[in-house]
Amino acid sequence: MRLLIVEDENSLRESLVEQFKAAGFNVDAAADGEEGLYCGREYALDIAVIDLGLPKLPGIEVIKKLRAESKSYPILILTARDRWQDKVEGLQAGADDYVAKPFHFEELLARVQALLRRSGGWAQPVLRCGPVALDPRTQEVSVNDKRVELTSFEYRILEYLIHRAGEVISKAELTERLYAQDFDRDSNTIEVFIGRLRRKLDPEDTLKPIETLRGRGYRFSLQRESAG
Amino acid sequence: MQPRSLSTRLLASVTVLLVVFFGITIIALDLVFRDLSERAVKERLEVQIIALIYASEEDANGGLRPSPQQIGEARFNNPGSGMYGQVQRSDGTSSWRSESLTGTGLNFSYHLKAGERRFGEQRTADGSAVLVLSRGIEWEFKKHRTGTFVFSVAENLEPYYQQLNRFRVQLFGWFGVLMMLLLGSLAVLLRRLLSPLRRVEREIEAVESGDLTELGDGYPRELLGLTTNLNALLRSERERLARYRNTLGNLAHSFKTPLAVMRNLLNSGTARELSVARQLDEQVGRMDDIVKYQLKRAAASGGTGLGTAPVDVRAALEALRGALLKVYMDRNMSCELHVAEGCMFYGDREDLTEIGGNLLDNAFKWAKGKVRLTAERVSSPAARREGLLLVVEDDGPGIPPAERERVLDRGARLDERVSGQGIGLSVVRELAQLNGGSISIGDSPLGGARIEVRLPPV
Repeated sequence: MRLLIVEDENSLRESLVEQFKAAGFNVDAAADGEEGLYCGREYALDIAVIDLGLPKLPGIEVIKKLRAESKSYPILILTARDRWQDKVEGLQAGADDYVAKPFHFEELLARVQALLRRSGGWAQPVLRCGPVALDPRTQEVSVNDKRVELTSFEYRILEYLIHRAGEVISKAELTERLYAQDFDRDSNTIEVFIGRLRRKLDPEDTLKPIETLRGRGYRFSLQRESAG
Repeated sequence: MQPRSLSTRLLASVTVLLVVFFGITIIALDLVFRDLSERAVKERLEVQIIALIYASEEDANGGLRPSPQQIGEARFNNPGSGMYGQVQRSDGTSSWRSESLTGTGLNFSYHLKAGERRFGEQRTADGSAVLVLSRGIEWEFKKHRTGTFVFSVAENLEPYYQQLNRFRVQLFGWFGVLMMLLLGSLAVLLRRLLSPLRRVEREIEAVESGDLTELGDGYPRELLGLTTNLNALLRSERERLARYRNTLGNLAHSFKTPLAVMRNLLNSGTARELSVARQLDEQVGRMDDIVKYQLKRAAASGGTGLGTAPVDVRAALEALRGALLKVYMDRNMSCELHVAEGCMFYGDREDLTEIGGNLLDNAFKWAKGKVRLTAERVSSPAARREGLLLVVEDDGPGIPPAERERVLDRGARLDERVSGQGIGLSVVRELAQLNGGSISIGDSPLGGARIEVRLPPV
């Protein structure tokens, strides 16, 4: 999942970037409103975390502009000014949730994941498709209740595919969402990881969880459990 | 005692002045007229007496009497005509009495020396007053014989009195009408002159009820000082509040940022392993609560709200409801909103949003799935601006009676408590009290807590 964090307080921003990366996110960061707006427009994001008190362009304006340009990914507000007037304005401008400073990272992460779940149409925290279960909170994957060990890149691909189970995701999109800009965008790499995923999830080749659609992309084809 | 009205005072003073002025004028005119009329009567008598004297000649008894051919005044001959004459000898006996004296019962017997003269009043038998002029004359008879005679002439005063009355009636009548006209025009003029005062009164009422946020232009010089100063006061109150809030907002932001950094540091990496990290984090939480509570208190307007438009309660509460439903979307909550028709809050918009937001958030946190928010109008006969009653109910576990006071107290007792418990309701109490109101916690038919906030009419 690709996440944008817009926060002007340097140590906080850097710390959050690290923490989100550790949680399995592909993280972009901006230090002011203008930069945040640019990133929000240009990158294929899954979610944005925006601080309200930004220099150059206020957080509320960033949100309004992004929504006006049909960016529909969930937006979570971080704010030190926790007057209800501000919260209502932020939510009316287009945000989906708010977290007041100071916050515990766990809470922020949980809210981010809840928003992602909601946007993917998942009602439960654990994403289940047939025998495959993925818990974004713990980054654990199991097939038929048996734990499967994945590398962080493998996990990221699987999480994204399951999140959008039933949809076709192109290789380009996968690359853009999951990997930082400086990563080697050799299209082969994705295929390699998909292959590894298949072997780990489906060693007997009975499940066939990931489908390849020639020229279009990949699809996680197992049935979602009670989609929200 | 009721304060006195300027108009009444003015009108009363002018009426008194007019009455006095006109009164003096009337009296003066009356006196002048009387004087003139009296003089005219007296002059006529003088003329008559001279005529009588010249018409007189010696009679057979050695007395004097006017010769009938020479009497010019015909009235002497008609009984009761109103013009009377008499000539007396020096011994007091009458030498001649005019025909007109018959039946009147008048007798002019005065003792006057020659050259003396006097006026007097008498009454006839039927009560009418007459004015008498008597003169003592030394008459030189033939053969150098002299004698003193007293000539008297009298005129009926009734016509004179009637004339005086007619004059007085006219005088009073005209002056009365004049005074009424004057008072009438004055009343109208007064109304027009004082209309700026009435306008100020109207506009101030409008400001109090929220229809206007400041007084208008075009006031006369005398009121300009009042209106411009009042407007300046209203404006500076608004600006001060905005400036204050802005400063507090900046303060909150600048204080919470290092708190956020601290918490984050304590949360991450190797720091989490240390036992002291948890304790430090707790202190961060306390500092956060203190800042939240005190800054919210300070940022509350709790003021008169004068010079600001009244707040549409339905719109404000719907915005809060929408915001909270969005945030708590995963829990599939239902939130009923009932707002009385035309419900307005005559106070600060932010205060209302703060109160409503904290109440709703608290309800959403604890509810199983149902929240109900009601807003009612509270009016009282003497009050100019209506009050507001907010009721929030949920279907959660409720708040046990023993806890209720403590829950409301949390913000104030920040040094005693453990961070993590919400201070939202205590903030609501603080804001309600600043607006002259109160909060109470009870049980709801929905199953959970029922919290009432009363903001009284003013």
